[in-house]
Amino acid sequence: MNRLLVSPAPHLHVRTSTASLMRDVVIALLPTVIVSILFYGWREIMILAVSVVSCVLLEYLITRFLLKRESTVSDWSAVVTGVLLALNLPATSPWWMVLVGAIVAIGVAKMTFGGLGQNLFNPALVGRVFLLISFPVAMTNWGPVQGFVGNADAVTGATPLGLAKEGGVAAVSSLDYLDMLYMNIGGSAGELSAIAIIIGFIYLLARKVIRPHITLSIWITVFVFSGIMWLADPSVYTDPVFNLLTGGILLGSVFMATDYVTSPMSTAGGIVFGIGIGLITMLIRYFGSYPEGVSFAILIMNSTVPLINKAFRNKKYGR
Amino acid sequence: MKKTFSIGGVHPNDSKISAGCRIEMLPVPQTVYISMAQHLGAPATPVVSVGDRVKTGQVIGEPAGFISAFVHSSVTGTVKSIGPRPDLAGNKVTHVEIAVEEDEWAEGIDTSETVVREIPRDNAFILDRIKSNGVVGLGGATFPTHVKLSPPPGKKAEILIINGAECEPYLTSDYRIMIEKPEQIVIGAGIMKQVLGGPRTVIGIEDNKPEAIASMQAAVEKLSVLSPSYSGIEVMVLKKKYPQGGEKQLIDAVARRQVKSMGLPIDVGAVVQNVATSMAVYDAVMKNRPLITNTLTVTGDCLPAERQKNLLFRIGVPFSFIIEQTGGMPENAVKVISGGPMMGKAISNLDATTVKGSSSVLYLTAAQTVRRPESNCIRCAKCVEACPMGLEPYLLNKLARNGMMEELEQNAIQDCIECGCCLYSCPANIPLLDVIRVAKGDVMRAIRARSAKK
Repeated sequence: MNRLLVSPAPHLHVRTSTASLMRDVVIALLPTVIVSILFYGWREIMILAVSVVSCVLLEYLITRFLLKRESTVSDWSAVVTGVLLALNLPATSPWWMVLVGAIVAIGVAKMTFGGLGQNLFNPALVGRVFLLISFPVAMTNWGPVQGFVGNADAVTGATPLGLAKEGGVAAVSSLDYLDMLYMNIGGSAGELSAIAIIIGFIYLLARKVIRPHITLSIWITVFVFSGIMWLADPSVYTDPVFNLLTGGILLGSVFMATDYVTSPMSTAGGIVFGIGIGLITMLIRYFGSYPEGVSFAILIMNSTVPLINKAFRNKKYGR
Repeated sequence: MKKTFSIGGVHPNDSKISAGCRIEMLPVPQTVYISMAQHLGAPATPVVSVGDRVKTGQVIGEPAGFISAFVHSSVTGTVKSIGPRPDLAGNKVTHVEIAVEEDEWAEGIDTSETVVREIPRDNAFILDRIKSNGVVGLGGATFPTHVKLSPPPGKKAEILIINGAECEPYLTSDYRIMIEKPEQIVIGAGIMKQVLGGPRTVIGIEDNKPEAIASMQAAVEKLSVLSPSYSGIEVMVLKKKYPQGGEKQLIDAVARRQVKSMGLPIDVGAVVQNVATSMAVYDAVMKNRPLITNTLTVTGDCLPAERQKNLLFRIGVPFSFIIEQTGGMPENAVKVISGGPMMGKAISNLDATTVKGSSSVLYLTAAQTVRRPESNCIRCAKCVEACPMGLEPYLLNKLARNGMMEELEQNAIQDCIECGCCLYSCPANIPLLDVIRVAKGDVMRAIRARSAKK
């Protein structure tokens, strides 16, 4: 007779696992990765390779030799961090800078807190902001870089947000929204193509990896806030469509603000979190000294997540 | 839009493999063992002695308290022994062992198949029939039905919900009786409606059972033409979602009312009875037939199609006999479950006997049911989204592992209905419900001790 297995209910389990969810995030990032390689060529391949390999290797070394635990690299989360970090850097970044970013992301932001699930801040963003503060010139050197399609000059030397910060609305009036939607704007690899990011977003929603509430609340906040400002004075403030399509808003709102670990648990909490990110981003863009503020906005809101989790909870049944 | 409950829930594959199998009669073995603890509340007291000859349907156990129930012999034969015997989890429970002889029913029981539709006017008589025939809730909790049908003074039933949700994957016994015995179920509903003073009566069925919906609707139409007792009974189609059949969830889905924490359905004017219970009420009241048979599903993905069954069994038949009669346990099955895969119990002792509430013999394979190793919580909030009570399982797990009793109570661990949605949906394989179930027990004991002191 068969031996009987006895355990408490439930006896079934979903097929998804941490690794399958993280792998889905990597798959969702592929369109963006492909566009960035097409436009930034070998340099982008180098950056992606250094970033992913060093993130995975660092996590392996830290878990095995420093923490003396079982390695956790098979959960794919270090790969996600590696890809996101690479997509957040200019294509001109030297290899050692990418390595420093990876060390800060994995070594400081993730593993010192206890690894996946324990970190307060999004690791890739901590890596990026560390580099931005430490190497401001290198982090805003937008090329030109020769890619596999088009010539190097096709990609302008400055980001639209950088131009707007320097020269005001007039400096960006010639830019075409269709270009922004497809791929043709200067910036970090991950800022190139809105379409590629939206394809990834749809994939994540279809696979039920994330829910749309955080991303949408960021978009709506950015659109409404910049809309009000633009309507008030279109000669000073950039318009809402421009603000949605440029910079890191799309990449940040789809892939980084939705990071499980560093976003709130409840739906209401997620919406508050998204509104906060949208507002802080726009305040930095309009009034701050940096042209772009998504990274800072997400990190600042990351720090409020424990409080949001206390203050905003789902409605309990019968209470 | 089709209704469903408003908070949480999950969508496991419904796997109703045996849905097309007509109910067959299971043979009776040489010996049956009838448990005295087949219902919620105090076990019944045996009222027969070794050597006594008992008839089918004769009382062999009497209720030992307000919340308790009569137990009847499901066979004709001689009492061989009365004493402790392990149940399906290995706990010792008093059983009456009966050596089976030629079937002979006790006096006063209508064993014919004629459908009786005229409901007696005397409610006291009806309640007495339900009580004396040992009817208990067959939806899982086996709460004595006559108690549920007698609301405490000051409380009035405003809605009677007949639960045909059968939201657990694999199970098809409720589905089959809704197709094969729809009239009896509706008559049972009519009886309970009358006893409760004529509240709105709704039969809730999930939309993955179109045939059952059609069959029940037809039965309601037919009966409401014959007698006003059945007019106004509604069949409501519900959007499939687990755990729709949970009492609290069903009340929310059908009546948009929520039972307060630690409260009872009757506090919001609701009474919920399963379709199988409704049929048992019909048998008890109209036929004076005690609850000695029930329907169970023999199923599993690893069981060949021709061995999938819905069986009418005599209560007290050992599981091992059912397994033997249906061709044995499949080679690759590692777990046998009585009840659904979400809330059912894994059987450790196949010699245990069926009870009033037994609803399945479900085989699961290692690939389906062996738990994967636990990893870090990634705070994905899937458990929070899944919890139909709106709790935060990730938080309760953390508080429980740190023994923080007060915080557990503040975070409503006592409201947990143990539906398993949290553990089911956790990608990190954290045994959320295992931990929460134990901690909930501790918190409930503390709450009870506190209210006893007052």
